[in-house]
Amino acid sequence: MTQKISQYFQQENILKSLLMILIGAFCIYPLLTLLFKVSWIDGGLSGQYFEKVFKSSSTQSAFFNTIIVSFGTALLSCIFALPISWLLKRTDLPYVKFSKTICCLPYAVPPYIGAIAWISLANPTNGFLNELLFGTGFFNIYSHLGLIFVMSCFFYTLVLLNLLNAFDRLDPSLEEAARISGAAPRKVFMQITLPLILPSLTSGFLLVFLASMASFGVPALIGTPGDIFLITTKIYTLQKMGSFSGIYQAGALSVSLLLFSIMIVYGNLWIQQNLSYKTISGKSPRPSLVPLKKLKWPIFIGLYLCLFILFGLPILSILVTALSEVPGKVDINLMGFANFKKVFFEMSETSRALTNSSILAVSAAFIGCILGFMIAFISTKTQMKGRKFLTTAANLPFTTPGTVVALAFILAFSQSFFGLPFSLYNTSILLIIVYVVKYLSLAINVNADGLEQIDNSLAEAARVSGANWFTTLRTIWFPLLRNSIFASWFLILMPCFSELTMTILLAGPGTETVGTLLFQLQEYSDASGGGSAVLSLVVVGFVISLNFLIKKMSNGAYGL
Amino acid sequence: MSEIRIKNLNKYYGQLQVVNNFNITVKDGEFLALLGPSGCGKTTSLRMIAGLEEPSSGLIQIDNDTVYDSSENINTPPEKRSVGMVFQSYAVWPHMNVYDNVAYPLKIRNLNKDEIETAVSKVLHTVELEGLEKRMPNQLSGGQQQRVALARGLVMEPKVLCLDEPLSNLDAKLRAKMRKDIREIQQKFGITVVYVTHDQIEAFEMSDRMVIMNQGLVEQVGSPEEVRESPKTEFVAEFIDG
Ligand SMILES: Nc1ncnc2c1ncn2[C@@H]1O[C@H](COP(=O)(O)OP(=O)(O)OP(=O)(O)O)[C@@H](O)[C@H]1O
Ligand SMILES: [Mg+2]
Repeated sequence: MTQKISQYFQQENILKSLLMILIGAFCIYPLLTLLFKVSWIDGGLSGQYFEKVFKSSSTQSAFFNTIIVSFGTALLSCIFALPISWLLKRTDLPYVKFSKTICCLPYAVPPYIGAIAWISLANPTNGFLNELLFGTGFFNIYSHLGLIFVMSCFFYTLVLLNLLNAFDRLDPSLEEAARISGAAPRKVFMQITLPLILPSLTSGFLLVFLASMASFGVPALIGTPGDIFLITTKIYTLQKMGSFSGIYQAGALSVSLLLFSIMIVYGNLWIQQNLSYKTISGKSPRPSLVPLKKLKWPIFIGLYLCLFILFGLPILSILVTALSEVPGKVDINLMGFANFKKVFFEMSETSRALTNSSILAVSAAFIGCILGFMIAFISTKTQMKGRKFLTTAANLPFTTPGTVVALAFILAFSQSFFGLPFSLYNTSILLIIVYVVKYLSLAINVNADGLEQIDNSLAEAARVSGANWFTTLRTIWFPLLRNSIFASWFLILMPCFSELTMTILLAGPGTETVGTLLFQLQEYSDASGGGSAVLSLVVVGFVISLNFLIKKMSNGAYGL
Repeated sequence: MSEIRIKNLNKYYGQLQVVNNFNITVKDGEFLALLGPSGCGKTTSLRMIAGLEEPSSGLIQIDNDTVYDSSENINTPPEKRSVGMVFQSYAVWPHMNVYDNVAYPLKIRNLNKDEIETAVSKVLHTVELEGLEKRMPNQLSGGQQQRVALARGLVMEPKVLCLDEPLSNLDAKLRAKMRKDIREIQQKFGITVVYVTHDQIEAFEMSDRMVIMNQGLVEQVGSPEEVRESPKTEFVAEFIDG
């Protein structure tokens, strides 16, 4: 009997130790290597690379640009999201469910698609919108404002999701009590609703700030041509210089970006813990919706007009570009599927990229959902030592900008690793690992949510019936949690399929992915030639159908 | 004269009729209890009086003002009805202290500072919350929060006070005390009260008259004695028995 007990412990402990080694080696070790390599030179602590970087006027302006753009994006995102969330949650706006899905949808689409679309709409030489204004070049997307606008079109969904959640948790009687006290709807909003959701709004603001600071695709496509570098694009250029000093300066920049993000993450945590109110009540009735009355349909139409400008127009523009057989000409007679034919049947890169992306994303999703399940299990259902380490360490790369993670991986794995005789650098395996590392946290959270809803007694019954620890995991927890595991699989698959930020730094020659191919087509070969437009459509179609699949499979628990 | 007159009031949610032809006149200064099992439509009826829910059809008059009339297309919004309300969840605003919570209805009405102070301290005295003015809601017990909600409902001296199961989150002892307190306050202020409960003790002990509802229909209206001595339907007999 005693022997059996120790056997149970052994199974758990072996698994836990294995996970800790994996997490340590791939989530923590690269970031530590990065820190170490840029600050420890010739056997001593040195600020040499930092000094070099911070003295250069081009990095100074990159810092400045990053702050301006991130701040602007965060602000504009809040301005978009606040009225929409209120309309969706507190008024009798028609077709709310549908509208909510539409409003949240950009969350699933990679922002660089938006950049590609807006370049075709508003580049100063031949953007469609400028053509409409007789080629005045009135709209210039290659500007700070352009960057802020395009990023806001996507990142406002971060604020929106935060706010929708906050409204759900806000006991509607708090607002009704103010109505009863004599306040008109506008006053209720200003004096009750707004102060109570302010912590969520702030948190959304910080999330967008973080996401903008970390974003690479949009600044690379829109900022760089306009000579506006952000820290991420600066890191990319420095790394691509290929020189030793370039990489190390990129490293120093990465460390600064990392510290900055960590500060924001903790600032956000502090706000949530200290400034937010407990506004949920036990039994709260449905909210009495503010009647929009005569304004109902005008507001509805206005909302959809805005949504059309935010993403209907870009999608339309991509579609037109993809169909135009003569680049830059909008003429129904010159439309056809030539670009599709070229992309799918003439360019050998396309099929390579699609195959690579599928294999990489599927493998990463598979590994990620299994690891995520196991870590979530250990952290929610056991009292093992070190479970906090597992979740915290796995969360670190998720909040770290992708560019920084990739650079850390370059520095950590470009030479032999732990004295092993082979290097992972330039292999697809490294890409899979970095995808898993980056998105593991998503899988852990989804599975932990699922696990928390299952009562321990179900597993205890299995143990009492004679199943050992691992058998219980396999025969009880795993099947019960099937939906969460599936959901986490998709949640990793989706961003990995179109990943650009890390892939562009880590993919070896010949390993094109959808993201890098799109980037190259847009950057170098035929920006207006329709190739990138065709691929963009593929990506948009893919993520959106995947989203609806997740939603259907999880009965609306996940997906938009 | 704060009389509430309700005629042929109906409420549908889609196909489901949750209030069926509700008729009653609540007299000035009367304490009316709405009693019935869970889901019978008590909260819905109360919220229609307060203006938080739009009826499907019917007529509601408060103090001879028509606040809702489906035939005339009248629907006064809640902030113009001068109805006080105490929510089951209390709905004490967590970002305001006790004083600001209670003073809110008066500030909205742009009263001057002295008037507000006098009125607030008077009502806080009535509900026995003096000295807690500066406390934030998260520093209050459930019973104290409940009193803040009550004080906020009373401070603007509404024509009508609506209460939705205000005592259901309190323990038995406090509940007994609050039953007496609320009744006393009501008589002192002489206001008309509509009090929703599923607890017979509350209804019998506090009310002048009670309405017993079942599945949206009014089963009986009468004083506690009438209801106890001659239940009109089988449902009422069983409900007050059980
Ligand atoms: N927004 C809504 N949509 C559809 N049905 C609703 C809605 N709100 C309430 N109902 C239904 O109306 C009926 C009456 O609800 P109401 O809240 O008035 O009951 P109640 O008597 O207050 O019950 P309880 O004692 O549980 O509070 C219930 O059957 C409820 O399910
Ligand atoms: Mg109720």
